[in-house]
Formats: sequence, structure tokens, C-alpha cells
Amino acid sequence: MIVAENVEKRFGDALVLKRVNLRVEPGEVVTILGASGSGKSTLIRCINGLEALTGGRITVDGHDVSTKAGLVAARRASATVFQLFNLYPHMTALGNITLAPIEVLKLPKAEAEARARALLDKVGLGAQADAYPQQLSGGQRQRVGICRALAMQPRYLLLDEVTSALDPEMTGDVLRILAELAADGTTMVFVTHEIEFARHISSRIVFLEQGELIVDLPTAAFFAEDGGLAVPRIRQFLSKMKKD
Amino acid sequence: MRFWRVIEPYIGFLLQGFALTIAACLLAIAGAVLLGALTASMRSSGNRLVRGAANAYGDVFRNVPFLVQLFFFFYGLPELGIYIGAFETGVIAMSIAGGAFVSDVILSGILTVDAGVIDAAKVSGLSRVKIFTRVVLPIALRVSVRPMGSVLINLVLTSSILSTITVNELTGAAKIVAATTFKPFEVYAVLLVLYASLTTLLSFAISAVHRRLNRFMTGG
Repeated sequence: MIVAENVEKRFGDALVLKRVNLRVEPGEVVTILGASGSGKSTLIRCINGLEALTGGRITVDGHDVSTKAGLVAARRASATVFQLFNLYPHMTALGNITLAPIEVLKLPKAEAEARARALLDKVGLGAQADAYPQQLSGGQRQRVGICRALAMQPRYLLLDEVTSALDPEMTGDVLRILAELAADGTTMVFVTHEIEFARHISSRIVFLEQGELIVDLPTAAFFAEDGGLAVPRIRQFLSKMKKD
Repeated sequence: MRFWRVIEPYIGFLLQGFALTIAACLLAIAGAVLLGALTASMRSSGNRLVRGAANAYGDVFRNVPFLVQLFFFFYGLPELGIYIGAFETGVIAMSIAGGAFVSDVILSGILTVDAGVIDAAKVSGLSRVKIFTRVVLPIALRVSVRPMGSVLINLVLTSSILSTITVNELTGAAKIVAATTFKPFEVYAVLLVLYASLTTLLSFAISAVHRRLNRFMTGG
């Protein structure tokens, strides 16, 4: 379980997260919605320890990410997919996917590669195993990014606006894969602007507004007239997004 | 041919010197690259003390003439009770001086590495050392190899200064031959060709490494 308690994050004078509380149980798909600058990505970056908290506490399966040993264990339990893919440019798709399994999980190279090829096959990139990131399209790179995360066999998958840098067709490819993962019971924390998609795969939706988590509801309730839509800010946000 | 008549009796001696030059350069290049990579990693460290120590090393050895550094080691080490040969002293001095410059070019390469790529390596659980050796350094070297080539070629040229501490490498050997024959022009003409071939070969090697590292990179 991922637990965030009274999380506060300050960048200089700017308070980016204000007393945020969030729990993600195994098997859940939790989508974080909110306008740009509302703190969504920062929250993900606090969970995987890329940003240090300035207040409160985050634990992943009981491991406190603000301690050294806790962070190692927490990172072992989760994996992150990034908006701009962040693939290793000097390694092939296969190299990108097998680096951490070999170095961190200590898998034998042959086994790590066999697993990586199976993952690539699953996302339709079986033929691109030896391609370098520069030789792949954005959608293909992001699918490699997803394979790289899955190769660590994480209990929690953290997805930080993974389709924001992709055109609609490539977005479709990536979302199909995520839908399959959700159907398989993969636990996900999903930061996105794809509202319709979030509605389909999420078990819960939380809404961040200027660093404050103002709504945390099951998906159906979030889109209900007497639930999330009763909150003026959310109604306004959703109607704006639909126009795009 | 007059030229060949002058050189012929000494060609073996000069080639011995050339072999010593090549040996000193290969060892010093290895030393300078290792020391440079280590120093660059320290200069990009989050620890202020580590960074300060590495910066101090770079500043000192880039800003003092190599001749002075060489004499400092050659006459200074015995004062400290360390007795090693002139050749070894020369290689160590070249490695230390070269390492200061190499660390500069590797550091500038490190600063070009995309922060997001490092984030990805961090969250995957890789240790700091693995992140540096498997991700940061290989990416940095793509950018750094060419400027590093200039530094290493300079290091080869600097090896001629070892003649001042009794190492009879190519220049040292040439001085002796010139003094014996009173034909400095012929002797130094041979040196010109030998040094130029050595540095040209090195620059080809650097280009090959650069192409190899950048196989699938656009630009650069």
C-alpha cells in the first residue's frame, strides 16, 4: 500500500503540495487529475523519491521514502514511466529494459533478455529489440519505457503524464497497453489529462487544485452529478477538458 | 644521400627513444583518462568537500607549467622517501597533469546529460556508482571524446619534456644524437616526422572511438 500523510512540498517560497493525504491499495488504479501546475507530477516524484518532502510522510508497503533504506525498498516496490520517456540513449531497447533487472535484481543476462523480449512482444515491439531510442517513434519509445518499468516486476506502477508528448494515434497504442495492465490487476497511480480514458480504467479519481487534494472519490461517484460534479471547480475543469 | 648517411648509424637509438615515448604516452593516457573520469565524477558530486577537493586538484595542475610539476615530483618525491625511476616519475606527472584537463572535458560532457535520464536510472534502484558508470559516463563520453582528443594529443607533445629529467625518450635521444653529430637539422627532421605520425595515429583512433560511441546518435 502507498500511503501519503500530510505531504507538503515547498520549492523555495512556493508551496506546491499542501497537506496531501492519499492511500493506494494493491489492485487499485488511482488517477490524479488537476490543472497544469497543480502538483500532480510533484506528488509522483515525491512517491518515487525524486523530490524530498518538506513535510509529512510517504510510505510504500511501510517503507518510509525519506529514509535511505526505506527509499531503496520503496523503489524496489514501484516503477515509474515518464512523460518524456527518459530512455537511455546509448542502449538498445533491450539494453534499456535489462539494465536494472541485471544490476539490481541480479537476474542472469539470458533470463533478463528473455523476459525483456517477452515484454516487447506483448507491446508489439518484438522486432525492435535491437533498435536504439533515436530509431524509434515517440509511441514506440514510450512502449519501451513501459516495458522497462514492468521488467522490474513492480507492485506499483507510477505513470507521469505518459501520453502527453504523443500524438493521438500513438496515445491510443500506449493507452491500450495500460488498459490491459489495469485489467490484469496492476496497481497504478496515473497522472493524466486523458479524462475519458481515466474514467474507463480508474477505480478512484483524486483531484488536485493548487497543491491541495480537494476530492478523492470512486470513479463513478467522481463523475456523478451529486458527487464530483457538484464541486464547481471540477465541473469547470471537466467541461474545459471536453472542449479540447 | 647525405641525410641518410647522418641518421643511419643512430636510427636504432632514436627508435629506442621513440618506443619509450610511445610507452610513456600510452601509460599516461590511461592514467589521465582514469584520473580525469574519477575527478569529473567527484566534481559533479553533491558533497561539497568531495567537489572542493576535486576542483582544487584541477585548478592547481592546470595552472602550473608542466616543467615545474615534473621537477616538483622528480626532486620532491625522494625528499619524501619515495624512490622511483625517472620514467615512472614522468608517467605519474603526465597522468596527473593530463587528468586535470581530461576531467574538464568529461565534466562538460556530464553536464549535458539529460536530468530525466538520470531520474529514470535513480528510480530503477541502480546504485550511484552504477548510475555513473553505466549511464552518465557513457553518455558524457560521446560528447567529450573529441575535445579529450585534443587534450591527449597535447599530452603526447608534452612527453618531450621528460627529456629534462634524464628520460631518453625520443626528444632525449635526439638531443644526444644532435650533440654527437653536430647535425641538429637532420635529427630534428626525423623527430618531426615521428611525432607527427604518432599524433596523427592518435587522432585517427579518437575519431574511430567517437564514431563508435555515436553510432546511433543524431548529430554530435
